[in-house]
Amino acid sequence: MKITEKELNTIHACRYCPMCRHSCPSEFINYRESDTPRGRAMLLYSVYKGGKPFEASTIDAIYNCFLCGACKSWCEGQELGGYDIPELIKFARRDIVAQGLAPQSVIAIRNAVLQHDNTFGIDKSLSYTATVQEKPAPVLYLLGEGVNFRYPEIAQAFTQILDHCGENYTLLKDEPTSGKELDLLGYRQEAQEKAMALLKRIQLTGCTTIVVSDPLTYDALKNDYPVWGTAFEGEVLHVSEYLLRVIQSGAVRLSPYRGKVTLADSEFLGRFNKVYDAPREVIAAVPGVEVVEMQWNREYMQSAGEAALTFDDRAFDRGKDLGEKISTKAVEAHADTIVVLSATAKQHIAMTTDLSVVDIAEFVNAHIVTNN
Amino acid sequence: MFDMILFELRDIVGKEYVSIREADREVYSVDYFWLPEMCHDRQDRSNITRPMADFIVHPADAEEVSKILRIANNYKIHVTAWGGGSGSQGGALPVFGGIIVDTKRMDKIYNIDEKSMTVEVGTGIIHDILESELKQRGFSTMHDPGSARCATVGGFIAHRGTGVLSTKYGKIEDMIVNMEVVLPTGDIIRTLTVPKTACGPDLNQIFVGAEGTLGIVTKVTLTIHRLPEKRAFRAFVFKDLETGLRVGRRLVAENLQPSVIRLYSEDETKEVIKKVLGIEKNGAYMVYGFDGNNEMVDLQLKYAYAIAMEEGGEDLGPDLGAQWYENRYKFFFPPYMYRLPQLFGTLDTVASYSDIQNVYNAMKDVVEKKYPMARFIGHFSHWFPWGAMLYGRFIIDTPPDDPHEAIHLHNSIWNDGLRAAMAAGGVLNEHHGIGLKLSRLTPELYGNAFQVLRNIKTTLDPNSIMNPGKLGFGL
Repeated sequence: MKITEKELNTIHACRYCPMCRHSCPSEFINYRESDTPRGRAMLLYSVYKGGKPFEASTIDAIYNCFLCGACKSWCEGQELGGYDIPELIKFARRDIVAQGLAPQSVIAIRNAVLQHDNTFGIDKSLSYTATVQEKPAPVLYLLGEGVNFRYPEIAQAFTQILDHCGENYTLLKDEPTSGKELDLLGYRQEAQEKAMALLKRIQLTGCTTIVVSDPLTYDALKNDYPVWGTAFEGEVLHVSEYLLRVIQSGAVRLSPYRGKVTLADSEFLGRFNKVYDAPREVIAAVPGVEVVEMQWNREYMQSAGEAALTFDDRAFDRGKDLGEKISTKAVEAHADTIVVLSATAKQHIAMTTDLSVVDIAEFVNAHIVTNN
Repeated sequence: MFDMILFELRDIVGKEYVSIREADREVYSVDYFWLPEMCHDRQDRSNITRPMADFIVHPADAEEVSKILRIANNYKIHVTAWGGGSGSQGGALPVFGGIIVDTKRMDKIYNIDEKSMTVEVGTGIIHDILESELKQRGFSTMHDPGSARCATVGGFIAHRGTGVLSTKYGKIEDMIVNMEVVLPTGDIIRTLTVPKTACGPDLNQIFVGAEGTLGIVTKVTLTIHRLPEKRAFRAFVFKDLETGLRVGRRLVAENLQPSVIRLYSEDETKEVIKKVLGIEKNGAYMVYGFDGNNEMVDLQLKYAYAIAMEEGGEDLGPDLGAQWYENRYKFFFPPYMYRLPQLFGTLDTVASYSDIQNVYNAMKDVVEKKYPMARFIGHFSHWFPWGAMLYGRFIIDTPPDDPHEAIHLHNSIWNDGLRAAMAAGGVLNEHHGIGLKLSRLTPELYGNAFQVLRNIKTTLDPNSIMNPGKLGFGL
């Protein structure tokens, strides 16, 4: 693939200073220089400027990137015209796929998505949405694979809130993938095909608002779909944004909770969509709650591996350490509850701590004042 | 034999922690030294190559380092330690191949002793991570270099690093209480529990600044300090560098204990301060700062202000001083930092107050007269009771196309600049180290005294495996 001006800018913008090292979660896991933003920029420089072919260890380094954007937050060299490592990595992955060089582990994930609409390779019959009664409705709740296949309790919590609000909503039976994971792995065309398929299912519901649990799905609908020609014409909200709306409208009243609650920011909601305030306002809306901030928050958040797709559960042994990095900061902030914004974050953080780790929907649902 | 040695290394640290991958060999061949960066940058238009390691190993502790070094001695394989790879002198480059020992797995914080005000850490910890953890508890090492986000504590020890607050808190060598060191033979030693003794030469100081040529430091106990109640700054412009130097000297000599004095030459004031801070003034720009107890800091600021005004300074106020401190890392990032394709270097040196202005003039003179395509700027950032450190920089915007010509020009400027400095009373370097870049000049710097270093090296490293080509030791 011919490299674009934009990606070349990033390659040129990285001038060898390794000031991004401390921010990179994959370097934290692997310790390797090639698993740093600077290392990846150097390797891609050799490919796109030096004419070196992609070889196995370079491809490995490119797929080890979490695409979390931490390097962007910490690099103060943005003014050189765009140090956008995540976009550069995505471009490189598309090129690797186009050249037929994707590693077996990546191909396996791709196949799982194509066959089962999730990266875990779990049959759809085992998903939360397998037994859903789909219907036309103004509000559509999309779960994302993490909730749909691993954390049904998050979906249960949110649908209870929707019921409490008297919302006319639907889910999609056997919810299809958004295609986001395929795009992140470099399979742009297949991602767009999945996007088209999902859009058609969305349109059949006649919904005007989509509420999303999964930050990757949210990012796809907000930023990818419009560019891919599969734009959804209505409104897209993350669960936290919907919750804030119903709290502020009075549709939901919350019972007091005298505890200290912290938020684990989401990479894809935060860095790529600037959703930082809504979840905090939701938490703060619970009477008596003290919202405490972890040392690293907002654009300086620590990664929970939302897009660390090639680090499977086994390999994420050190990913447990990534979760522990977050839970340790929560303890330091004297929090008793960590509110998360993705199933991935819940999975990676909860296993490292005795603190309560709950999705924002679960948190709100636990404090709703019911009519009874 | 490659596979046999590979197997032995894997047997020590585990298969996942030994790399022979192309990607790693490539990225570990470029640190922050201009030369390998230039070679990498020009790969699309030249055939110049870079030496690469054969193996990159990530040991977990001193015992694993020891076993690696025993293998290296057995087979006479060169070993180069790599921490953050952020050194500007080529100290971590595997110039004769062999094994790179990446220290970053040795990154634990073992103990924070609040009574003794010390912290014990693995030397592979990235400094910013250590500082973040200490800050949560209300402490800091007060070692604050621009490389904090990428450099390891071990790297600072290797090259005798310094930081923004050094004028009060010292350089890294002043912060070391004790160390665990793996000698080139593989023996593991610990230096004495405390540093200020009358028990013979200080073993710490044998290894600090040795740049991995005398062994690998694996653990260190550093001093820590409580975060100050107040840290405040003020900025001034003085009519010229000479006046600024006099002010800096007085701030130190009159025992005001500033934590920061940063003085920029007239040229650097025009070029850098304007670009980074947006301040446009003629003269020598200075920021000074104090930290500590509220009342003490206010008193120190008062006396410092009196000195500055007495010397005819133009007061730019506290906010511009604070602005400098808040942006102190910005100077190291592109686009503020000089970067390829430019040819540039930091000719840092240190000299007594009696000599430092002559050193500056001599370096500036030789660079600008002999190399008219270059410009020379400088600032003074680390101050001692006896002298000050000069951060001299040369910059050539359009170096020769041919990489060999560019390297020759680069080395020539370094030679001439530093020989001028030495002739005027300076030394080769103050805190970046010698590395590969200045190795050839080190025997010249020490003269007859170099035999002491050479004999230490020969005794500790009889097979000459550790970091060859650096610090004047050759192969």
